[in-house]
Amino acid sequence: MPIAYAHFPYLSSILFSCVAGLLIILFIPEDKKDAIKWVSAVCSGVTLLLSAYLFFAYDKTQGGLQFVEKYQWVPSLGISYYNGADGFGLPMLLLTGIVFFTGVLTMWELETRVKEFFALIFLLVSGVFGMFMSMDLFFIFIWFDVSLFPMYLLIAVWGSTRKEYAAMKLTLYLLAGSALVLPAIIYLVVKSGFHTFDLVALMHPGTFTPFQQKFAFILLYIGFGILAGVWPFHTWSPTGHVAAPTAVSMIHAGVLMKIGAFGVLRVGIFLCPEGWQYWAHLMALLAVIGIVYGVFVGLSQTDLKFVIGYSSVSHMGIVGLGLATVTVEGLNGAVFQMFAHGVMTALFFSSVGYIYDRTHTKSIVELGGLSRTMPVASGYLIVAALTGIGVPCLASFWAELTVFISSFKVYPLYGILAVCALVVSALFMLRVVQRTCYGPPKERFAHLEDVSFKLGIPRMILVSVIVIFGLFPDVMLNMIQTASIPFISGLP
Amino acid sequence: MTSTPISNWTVLMTAVTAVLPFVAFLLIMVFTRKNERLSAGLSIGAVSVSLAGALFLIIQYRHLTTSVQYAGKWLVSGFITIPVGFLLDPLSLLMLTIVTVICFLVQIYSLGYMAGDRGFSRYYAFMSLFAWAMISLTLSASLFQLYVFWELVGLSSYLLIGFWYEKFSASEAGKKAFVMTRLGDVAFMLGLLLVLMNLGNLDILKLNSPMVTAVMSPGLITLSALLIFGGVVGKSAQFPLLTWLPDAMEGPTPVSALLHSATMVAAGVFLFARLFPFFSHSATAMTVCLAVGTISMLLSSTMAMVSRDIKQVWAYSTISQLGYMIMGLAAGGYVAGVFHLTTHAGFKALLFLCSGVFIHQYETNDMFDIGRKGGRHLKTPMICMVIAAAALSGLPPFSGFFSKEMIMAQLAGLGNPIWLTAGLAGVFLTAYYAFRLIFIIVFPKEINDEAAQENSAVHGHEETEHHHDREMAWPLVILAAITVVLGFGKKMLQGFLSGRLAGVEEMAGHHSDWLLYVSVSLAVLGLVVTWMEFGRRKAGQIGFVERIPALKSLFLERWYIDRMYRRLLDVVIYRGVSNICTQNDNRVIDGSIDAVCDGTVKSGRMISDLHLSMIQYKLLVMFVAVFFLALYFFF
Amino acid sequence: MIVPYSHVIVLAGIVFLMGMFCAVTRRNLIMILLGLEIMLNSGAIAFIGAALRWQLLEGQAIAIFILAIAAAEVSVGLALIVCAYRRKGSVDPGAYN
Repeated sequence: MPIAYAHFPYLSSILFSCVAGLLIILFIPEDKKDAIKWVSAVCSGVTLLLSAYLFFAYDKTQGGLQFVEKYQWVPSLGISYYNGADGFGLPMLLLTGIVFFTGVLTMWELETRVKEFFALIFLLVSGVFGMFMSMDLFFIFIWFDVSLFPMYLLIAVWGSTRKEYAAMKLTLYLLAGSALVLPAIIYLVVKSGFHTFDLVALMHPGTFTPFQQKFAFILLYIGFGILAGVWPFHTWSPTGHVAAPTAVSMIHAGVLMKIGAFGVLRVGIFLCPEGWQYWAHLMALLAVIGIVYGVFVGLSQTDLKFVIGYSSVSHMGIVGLGLATVTVEGLNGAVFQMFAHGVMTALFFSSVGYIYDRTHTKSIVELGGLSRTMPVASGYLIVAALTGIGVPCLASFWAELTVFISSFKVYPLYGILAVCALVVSALFMLRVVQRTCYGPPKERFAHLEDVSFKLGIPRMILVSVIVIFGLFPDVMLNMIQTASIPFISGLP
Repeated sequence: MTSTPISNWTVLMTAVTAVLPFVAFLLIMVFTRKNERLSAGLSIGAVSVSLAGALFLIIQYRHLTTSVQYAGKWLVSGFITIPVGFLLDPLSLLMLTIVTVICFLVQIYSLGYMAGDRGFSRYYAFMSLFAWAMISLTLSASLFQLYVFWELVGLSSYLLIGFWYEKFSASEAGKKAFVMTRLGDVAFMLGLLLVLMNLGNLDILKLNSPMVTAVMSPGLITLSALLIFGGVVGKSAQFPLLTWLPDAMEGPTPVSALLHSATMVAAGVFLFARLFPFFSHSATAMTVCLAVGTISMLLSSTMAMVSRDIKQVWAYSTISQLGYMIMGLAAGGYVAGVFHLTTHAGFKALLFLCSGVFIHQYETNDMFDIGRKGGRHLKTPMICMVIAAAALSGLPPFSGFFSKEMIMAQLAGLGNPIWLTAGLAGVFLTAYYAFRLIFIIVFPKEINDEAAQENSAVHGHEETEHHHDREMAWPLVILAAITVVLGFGKKMLQGFLSGRLAGVEEMAGHHSDWLLYVSVSLAVLGLVVTWMEFGRRKAGQIGFVERIPALKSLFLERWYIDRMYRRLLDVVIYRGVSNICTQNDNRVIDGSIDAVCDGTVKSGRMISDLHLSMIQYKLLVMFVAVFFLALYFFF
Repeated sequence: MIVPYSHVIVLAGIVFLMGMFCAVTRRNLIMILLGLEIMLNSGAIAFIGAALRWQLLEGQAIAIFILAIAAAEVSVGLALIVCAYRRKGSVDPGAYN
């Protein structure tokens, strides 16, 4: 089979550097911890650079799928290794690169079972990258499962707070999701009559009857939606966040939940646009319940990570609401929110992880006065909280604003509810900040060190990404629009 | 209204004016946190450039008749376009000047006030952040942009109120301020969305043009105007969201002077003035605004009558003066409201800065304490404070007199005499609480004179040693001079402001001389009553309100508004909805999931029990099955 | 005299049923194993009869295989039984849960 590359295979090289990192780590002896960390940092840095390069090299005037790599893998079944990047995928690739790199740097102080940890992280992330770039249904499903499986080990081995329970719950939930996704994919492939898993080929309008679309879409929506934390299938996510070690929480909340939403978009909405329109109202309803519900539950949590977990539920609800509007703005806002929320939670978990490592507690009742002992660390936490509230000129504000505007247009009542949830979200984020960072400094934390420059690097990267995209949201929105405008105008 | 073409020079100038403080903020936060002098220098340098820019602009456009607008694109997403740009018209130029002047003076003053504080650099960083947000807010050409900076000033207010975060009350007050203004902002945002849906645009000029009535129905205009007014209520601390402002006094005093009296809280009134033509389309909305302004004015005046905390008195007075401005605007007096905003910014900042000197010197907020410790011996701040208090009470010839008198004239022009009566009652109350404070400090009763002398001698001695005093003194003098002079610029300002709004009818013609006398004599009456109760030698220093316990506790407890909110928050939000949701999460959702899992495990156990010690039965079954299969296949 | 094939089959069937009865009813592992052996042998008988009937050698070869396998099975089975007996002190299959 000839492989005709018109250009350097950037997308495959991202995957390749993940796999290479994994293999190299496997061959390094267990006790050379520094070498393992450096290899991880370099390989993840390469993925970040490549994805950032792709993000800026993408030709926005031309649009569509670019950097395409296609290779027939099992022709008899119509399976091909088919990668491509468009305006929806590139922000996600960039997000994964950022979160991966900063996550690896955040775990620089890890001392137990370093080798296995980083190997598993690499496996996980290669699944995530694959999912975001693949255009073949078969591979999408494979990557989807590849990214789920290491989570169990990562949480069960390196976690804390009821880790076995959380790991089991998470795995069961996610496998239930993929058990819904697989039949839907097979159903679609069989019903299309094209005998191919090629997403682009299946996307032609008229391939599926309205009934088939409605049936497949609801399966895909729930299946992928579980991973996106759609209410009422969200309870795995706070528990999982709490139990997971810092970097895993970052990748989990920052990227894995996006896989769910991205799956709904890439598979569900792309293949079943009519099913999407049919079920949009249900999606909006669940999303709004998630938004309001998440903040209220978060309000009465005392564990820092639970608080963030529930804020994720609420923020992912905003993504869902954006997707449910069936408008260009809604899609823009949803994808932007995925990006912004990913970076934000990564920052959140990164700073909470630092605080937890030092103080050995996550309970906001026990913490307090950290702004005095570690001003920089709590500064990062405050920035993350402010991003969560939706303060302007920080990335998520624009995403939320776009979603609110479009939802206000399509579903006025839901739009109003979502906007009102802003007040409660401010209340609960500020409550956290007040209890942890403010107040008189406590005796037992007085000796703790602040974030050193070296350890601060990942957080600095995240903060600067938040601020840059907050000040220049157009960079991101222009990118997403290259995909969303043609898609919406191509709808029947 | 058409826009006049603008030169690149103006664009550059405005951009520099707006953005420079932000640059200072970033630099301080990232690089110069350790170096306090450099941080302060950066911040003050940035704000003085802004001041120069503002003065340049207002001088360049002093004869402005049409608005100058410049718009670029910040964000485009489908049909949503968020422009970035600026709108120069008399209102924004005036506000810009007020903001930059007061920012500049307060930052100079803070050099002395904040000296030696651990968070000195952080303080200046936040001040720069605020300056950037506030300047950009005044210049905004579209409501989107205005909303963005509206939120940002809220943020800097939060950060600055909670500046001394180690005090629980300070961080609590910051949180309260943020959440309460957020409540108003949500209404504001909904109003914006409503307008956007119907008008397709949030350009301020478009919104103010008469064509709005053609596109939107009157009911819709009223609704959206009221929602937008919700934002004003939150930001300007009007009824029913007024309780955050007195708590906000937990912040450093210069912050109170800048944010919570002169500029940020006035942003609400500024927004009202900005959209004045839009609001004018709906008589209902205007009446509601008038009522809200009146209620807040009266409520907060009564609260100020019993407070012992010097800063809280001025905070209540800020609410009540903002109420006056809103009353004036809602009564149709555009110039009256904006003029009062201008004069108020001057004298209220002055009042706070003077109080700051006392607080700095005696380290107490209690007015009786300050009086006892010899507050009257600090000559400069005392004189300035008396001037400002006179302006506040509307005594001629200070600036407050002119602006308040204009508002009264507007109110007199309304059909219903209730508003005028309320306004006049407010004049009396204002004079009462302002001079109550002054008399308590100047004529302390509870100590003998020798101790005071001694005290003052000590403090006088300290005063000479205090090398920061000059930095704190000359902003006071400048502001006092402004307070004295500004009133006489009324005609000029009127001409400047109404150049823009030639179309809007000014009802100022109604005013008659009797009103002038009534209002001044009421103010004097207030003064006299205070003198009888607090000033004269035999006065018991107990106000007539304080003699009625029920009324006193009512006023002290802020009409129980705060308690009601607290209870509401506790009962409905925390114990109600939040608790129910958490329980639902734990019991219903998790419970059912766990039950399903447990059920699976249990049924597995049960089925596995069937297998126990059954080898032979299984064997038998196998044989039988094979037998029947054989039968089936062979026959 | 040549025994008719049908007789051989009947014999094999009877032996098989006896083995089956033994394997299913006895409450002793050794006897169950014995039953299995008997069933195997009945198979061997059937194979030998068939080899004679069709004059093919494969049947006899298979019979020898069966013997070998039976021997192996007995050795493994008895070893397991000894093991189980040591652990549980009983050879009753009902005792093993």
